[in-house]
Amino acid sequence: MKSLKSIKLITITFVFISVFLFSQYSAAQVQIVTSVPDFAAIAQEIGGDKVEVVSLAKGYQNPHFVDAKPVFITRLNQADLLVYNGLELEIGWLPILITGARNSDILAGNSIGHYNASSSIKEKLEVHTGPIDRSMGDIHPGGNPHFMLDPRNAIPVARSIAARLIQIDTENASLYEENFKSFVNDLKLKISEWDSQLAPYKGTKVVTYHKLWAYFLKWANFEEFGTIEPKPGIPPTPSHVADLIRRMQGQNVKLIISANYYPQKTPQIIAQKTGADFLILPAMVEGRDGINTYFELFDAIVTEITSTLENKKGS
Amino acid sequence: MNSSRNFLILIIFTLIFSASINPDALSDESSDVKKELQELKQMMKQMQNRIGDLEERNKVLEQQAKENEQPVEQKTIVVEDKETDLTVIEEPAQQTQSFLGKALNAFNPQISVIGTFAAAYYSQDEPFVFAENDPENTGVNVQEVEVGFQGVVDSFFRYDMFLSFSTEGVELEEAYGTTLFSLPLNSQFRIGRARAKFGRINQLHRHNQNFVTLPLPAAQFLGEHLNPTSIEANFLVPVPWYLELSASGGSPDVETPTFARDEDANDLGRLLYIFHVANFFEVSEALGVSLGGSFATGSNGTAAGERSNLYGIDFYAKYRPLRNNPYQEITLQSEFMYLDAQTPEETLENWGWYAQSVYRFAKRWNAGFRFGIIDTNTPVTEVEEGEDIEATNLFATIRNEEGEEEEAMLGLLGRTYRISPMLTFNPSEFSQIRLQYDYLSQDFAENQHAIFLQFQYAIGAHGAHPF
Repeated sequence: MKSLKSIKLITITFVFISVFLFSQYSAAQVQIVTSVPDFAAIAQEIGGDKVEVVSLAKGYQNPHFVDAKPVFITRLNQADLLVYNGLELEIGWLPILITGARNSDILAGNSIGHYNASSSIKEKLEVHTGPIDRSMGDIHPGGNPHFMLDPRNAIPVARSIAARLIQIDTENASLYEENFKSFVNDLKLKISEWDSQLAPYKGTKVVTYHKLWAYFLKWANFEEFGTIEPKPGIPPTPSHVADLIRRMQGQNVKLIISANYYPQKTPQIIAQKTGADFLILPAMVEGRDGINTYFELFDAIVTEITSTLENKKGS
Repeated sequence: MNSSRNFLILIIFTLIFSASINPDALSDESSDVKKELQELKQMMKQMQNRIGDLEERNKVLEQQAKENEQPVEQKTIVVEDKETDLTVIEEPAQQTQSFLGKALNAFNPQISVIGTFAAAYYSQDEPFVFAENDPENTGVNVQEVEVGFQGVVDSFFRYDMFLSFSTEGVELEEAYGTTLFSLPLNSQFRIGRARAKFGRINQLHRHNQNFVTLPLPAAQFLGEHLNPTSIEANFLVPVPWYLELSASGGSPDVETPTFARDEDANDLGRLLYIFHVANFFEVSEALGVSLGGSFATGSNGTAAGERSNLYGIDFYAKYRPLRNNPYQEITLQSEFMYLDAQTPEETLENWGWYAQSVYRFAKRWNAGFRFGIIDTNTPVTEVEEGEDIEATNLFATIRNEEGEEEEAMLGLLGRTYRISPMLTFNPSEFSQIRLQYDYLSQDFAENQHAIFLQFQYAIGAHGAHPF
């Protein structure tokens, strides 16, 4: 019976320690957790100093492959609002974190604190309606998930974030409304600016590494000539690369673009062989040092593309 | 353009009209007026010409715009449409899709099937095999076919079930409900049959492990997996790092000699209790370290009231430099276990340790090395065939589900260590080919060499990647 006593003792100690440590603290600010930094940047613009925003993934990280670090669970546990991309972008790592979070506020798909940003996007690209299987690569049945690379999509997303913040924190509703309006106004101005920067290069043929730029290219009126990955998520094979180079020759493909988290050797080789320029671009906010807002992200992308094309024209 | 034209015509008409309503004035200075009229007529002609020009230009522009398909204009229209309701910050009705299960699309659970097969060569005719799902013989072996059903029950629970098929039959590997709602003290309960939170490897399904064979101490002390049917409480402690305390109590219906149902089973003190502390520290952006401690205590079935106490320490570190080499990572994983098992004859003291390192040197390639050892302070001698097992009391009797008795050894004959290098290639996220060599040395038997070539396939729901 000595052992039974020791079990009781252990249990009591256990409970005691737990109670002691669980000094519940309530944060004054609205806690927002986002899967990727794009949403964090937008949420920060709308929430101002009334919110505390943290992004789980880094901007220079491939959002498909993020380590489900246990420390993310503690962040989700405290969250009032979770903003994530959806369309299975985070399927490999976010669901287990949500399960572990023990947080009813962010759990259910229809609760205020659970915002799947893809639900606000009306025009999704590459939605698969026919039969699919994984021989087609790592495809996303609901559509290409990289919609935040079209700045126009930030408007409905910002509206939803503002709407949810207004419901979560009614006291500061007017502030969120103001911030939302000024964000959208600024963004509209910026979009027309970027539009006019890109307009002269309409129809430019572009090769990308991954089908990451589909929304961007559609917005910029560029033509996606091909991808270096033979299928989504499958690294390039020599035969596919040779084929791509052959197809590119004489087709006046000026640009190869890729995010900074993809391998750079193959695109460089293709660029050398075809005379196209290889551009490594940030694909998300904080994708590069100095890019801290959604505006700065597109400033960088648009400026780098247009200046490269301008130089190409000159040479 | 039209409005400007109308405006011009209006001005001209007003001028003419204002001139014609003053006939007296006309007669007074008729010559001047005539001059002015002439000038006006001239002006009108000029203006008409200009209007004609403008119309012409307008037409050309319209034509050009048509040819251009007006993409730029369309774009601005889209943006403007969206901003018209700037004052109304309300979300449009949206198609909600829960992340935890495509509940609204289909209430069916997410189904996954993962098959693991291994071609094996052993240097001995009767090879030493330590875990149930390790390759059994020289030849091609079914290691495990795991079928998983996972889904959200309601807003309170989710339910996960995994069946493990092998040539020997089917085993209920896991079937448990997890609470999803917020509970006091940040607690979360798992109720049912689950891989217990003891150390690290025990919480990883076979297909998530890095080697073909189970590490020696895990195979020896926990069996293929320690999965009692129990009630488990997990507390997330609000500290700056990740700290989770777990406690579970349940039936020792596990397939390991360490724990077994007591003859006198109706005693709360003789159930299996497992405690676990898990810490995770984000040392830097690239380096994460987790450190845990475990304790399990329960009856071992050698005689009424005899119990086993199993202690464990686990360490895991992952270094992944995101900025420089996003697809390279190094992991280091190690566990130490110590068992004291009471038997009517003596208290057995066994211990084991393993350490493994896996280097992912390219997106789809892993290479690894593992060292594992089990040893004892109280070596036992092997029982001759036909000898009365219970007389030695060094064996645990495990009652399986059919009520038959199985024998497995609780004691160790001596020191055993194993060295295992491994190379893995993942054609995609859903398939895997693994080559491994095992060198086994035991101080009571001949050395054993083994080579494995393992194939693994996953279909169905996209599984989660544990850290």
